[in-house]
Amino acid sequence: MLWVILGIIVVVIVWLVIVYNRLVTLRQVTGRSWSDVDVQLKQRHDLIPNLVETVKGYAAHEKTTLDAVIQARNAAVTAQAQGPAAAGPAEGALGAALGRLFALSEAYPDLKANQNFLSLQSELSDIENKIAAARRFYNSSVAEYNAMTESVPAVFFARSMGFQQRGFFELPEGERVAVQAAPAVKF
Amino acid sequence: MQAFGLRTHAWNTAWRSMLLLAGFPLLLAVMALGVGMIFGSEQRDLGRAFGNALRNLPWLYAMAWVGALIWFAIAWVAHNRILDWATGAHPVTRAEEPRLWNLLENLCISRGMRMPRLAIIETEAMNAYAAGLSREAGSVTVTRGLMQALDDRELAAVLAHELSHIRNGDARLGLIAAVFVGVISLGFDMMTRTRRAVRAGRRGGWRINTGSRNNNNAGWAALIGVLMIALAWLLATVLRMALSRNREFLADAGAVELTSDPDAMITALRKVEGHADMPEVPPQVRALFLEDASDNALSSLMATHPPIGDRVAALVKFAGGRDPGPIAPPPAVEAETPAWAQQDATDETVRIASGPAATPAPWWQGPAQGTGTGASPWGKR
Repeated sequence: MLWVILGIIVVVIVWLVIVYNRLVTLRQVTGRSWSDVDVQLKQRHDLIPNLVETVKGYAAHEKTTLDAVIQARNAAVTAQAQGPAAAGPAEGALGAALGRLFALSEAYPDLKANQNFLSLQSELSDIENKIAAARRFYNSSVAEYNAMTESVPAVFFARSMGFQQRGFFELPEGERVAVQAAPAVKF
Repeated sequence: MQAFGLRTHAWNTAWRSMLLLAGFPLLLAVMALGVGMIFGSEQRDLGRAFGNALRNLPWLYAMAWVGALIWFAIAWVAHNRILDWATGAHPVTRAEEPRLWNLLENLCISRGMRMPRLAIIETEAMNAYAAGLSREAGSVTVTRGLMQALDDRELAAVLAHELSHIRNGDARLGLIAAVFVGVISLGFDMMTRTRRAVRAGRRGGWRINTGSRNNNNAGWAALIGVLMIALAWLLATVLRMALSRNREFLADAGAVELTSDPDAMITALRKVEGHADMPEVPPQVRALFLEDASDNALSSLMATHPPIGDRVAALVKFAGGRDPGPIAPPPAVEAETPAWAQQDATDETVRIASGPAATPAPWWQGPAQGTGTGASPWGKR
């Protein structure tokens, strides 16, 4: 009888250790997949000053649009440091501002023919595709991690042992469309 | 435990394959018991024959293990050499195939793996395989058709799938399963051919209405022994195939984890679907491939690979991928195939379809499995 009880205790302890280790792994995966998103976001932010400078050379008087892009970009850089939940809306605003900038460029044939502008545009659209993929991977790993922390037995000890729920990286609906549609390049 | 996503799905799959693997020693024991029954069939009655078999079980079991280990050692040595020879793969360097090389190298760097040997098979079919019994001595082989049809993301996904096979040690696992099946089938062969079993059978059990009462029982013991071995063989084969399918799911999950791109894995699978056929390769080797197209003709129990639809469904469910549905082949590829090549291809299929003798299997891989060759454990031998 004693041995049965001891055996059960050992099994339970082994089970809890496995669950704990899995929580650690899942948290690690979410952290790693967020840094994948992070790298892409940073690259996007780094491209924007270049883009604005290029556009300025042809359309310096479109100051409001250009300033809006710069502002949105700076806000996004700040938000990025605060984590996924804050970065989502900021990236959405940046995407909207960029969309207006590209719409404006339609009125400037010289700008549209500029090689630098074109390469920046295609690079940005490439990065946005990568962000979209990295974002989905991050979100699915967060969903998995959160579900694990909410399920038995982890729900009893996860929070007290520092396994906090993670926030999703959600883009506003409008931005999602902008991210998924590559800019059409016409000649 | 319940699967919430990619990682938990992979854990569950790995756990299931450990359970499947644990079945092999059990089946080996069943076989040893069956052999014991046949040896004990000269006893007076069934109960005594069974007791005899149980008494002999330890050393019979040990013998079976020794046989398995010897077989395994030989197969280990032969593995890579025969694989390249059987598929006609040739190794390539960075200078020859920079695109493929760079994709693979990037994946290896991102996980701190040693770069496996890279090889190419010059064929229109779209497939790939990973070989190598240890992580250090792995090799990844892709076909020319695959390289041409997939874009960089999809090719990276396929390479990641093969790298996952190497990381998970699936070639080794497949070899272990093959050796178990081989030893059990060897036991079946020997027992159905030994004089002892034949004598016992002739004396009674197999002609149930004749002979004295005692000998009748003895015949039954031999028959039960043979049936036990046959059952062990059948179950081992089913287990081996289930294990193989299980490892495919695991490698798909590992590939998505490596590339963080479920969509690329899905579209790669969809593109490969229906174009992976390599009839010139022996079936045992095909089990290692990205996709084994010959599955379609077989029952799902004997397939080495899960259907593409199931693999895609798992990726959609656990990795959040999007499934575009079956992808039609680009018609240009069909038109480019010269007339003589098409002729060759049809010849090939005819030759393969005509019988199992057309594809000589390497003897060390054990008897042909899951190919519908008619060598069923119940068949006449």
